[in-house]
Amino acid sequence: MELARAAREGDESAFEEIMRRYSPRVFRFAAKFFRQRSLVEEAAQEVFLKAFTELGSFEGRGSMEGWLTRITTNTCLNLLRSSKRRPELTLSDLSHDETNWLDNNLTAAAAAQHQSTERSLVAADLAGRVLQTLPADDQLVLTLMDGEDASVKEVVNLTGWSESKVKVQAFRARRKMREAVEKLLARGRKSGSTRTA
Amino acid sequence: MRDEHIISLLENGPFAELNENDLVTIRLHVGDCDGCLSAFEAAQISRLLLQEHVAVEFEPPPFFHTRVLATLRERQATNDSWSFSKVWRAAGALASSMAAAVALLAVFTFVVPENQITSQQASTGYSAEEVILGQTAQLEDASDGQLLTTIYGVDEEPAR
Repeated sequence: MELARAAREGDESAFEEIMRRYSPRVFRFAAKFFRQRSLVEEAAQEVFLKAFTELGSFEGRGSMEGWLTRITTNTCLNLLRSSKRRPELTLSDLSHDETNWLDNNLTAAAAAQHQSTERSLVAADLAGRVLQTLPADDQLVLTLMDGEDASVKEVVNLTGWSESKVKVQAFRARRKMREAVEKLLARGRKSGSTRTA
Repeated sequence: MRDEHIISLLENGPFAELNENDLVTIRLHVGDCDGCLSAFEAAQISRLLLQEHVAVEFEPPPFFHTRVLATLRERQATNDSWSFSKVWRAAGALASSMAAAVALLAVFTFVVPENQITSQQASTGYSAEEVILGQTAQLEDASDGQLLTTIYGVDEEPAR
């Protein structure tokens, strides 16, 4: 609170201290929505610029971390909304590694194999590409609820949406994501059976 | 109906929140239903993808704070100069509109009335003043017939 007050009064070093303390958290949170480092940095920078201009609205009732996380959520949502949505992802868009990952994860032993860092990165890339075919609000709610295991209440708190909006949005987003993956799997099976034939 | 039920189980909440009973119900059902089996597999894979998606972390680059402060200063400078130029422009507009208003008033006060009188004089052959004042001297010397002609504009019919 002291730091916030000092920064509000124009103390640059106080604001720098706020950035030093909270930027790792802001970066970690923004990285959940973007795969490119440049976009994560852009989001984090925008968060702190907004935070500086809105320091007057920080009343110190909640934590500075929570306040910054809410700003990060809204900034990321705005960036997701402004970025172009990809058209439907088809199997031909996937790299060899991504196709392999899908094939392997269809087997029962998939979960156990799903360990190496390289494979995780392939999965993260693929996830990013599938998510990019969905609207921004769907990406946000899926990342928070199904990726981060955030509760409905937490999402309400972060986004300012109503509880029913969060529930409906999550329901629709899950369906869209599942259908997109299901299409990829079905095409994979078809092309696999064609290859074996 | 049972297909719908399985799919709604998958969509009502995060995959991780499915309890043992839900999973047993789903597994029993997908043994006989290909449609639900592929939906279930897709839901499992979506869950894995999303977990990997959020697991990636980035650390702030070394000069991140310096860069943000520089951008902040730049924006403030732009805002300051912008607001100064805005005030300057507003003041300029106000001064020029005031000057224009004064000029217009001056024109209406000094130039237009003289022009109006001149133009009135030029446009009308007779004015009331001319008739009543300017021509009084002439009219005094005029005969009754001329006077009537001047006032009524009609020549007296000569009496027969």
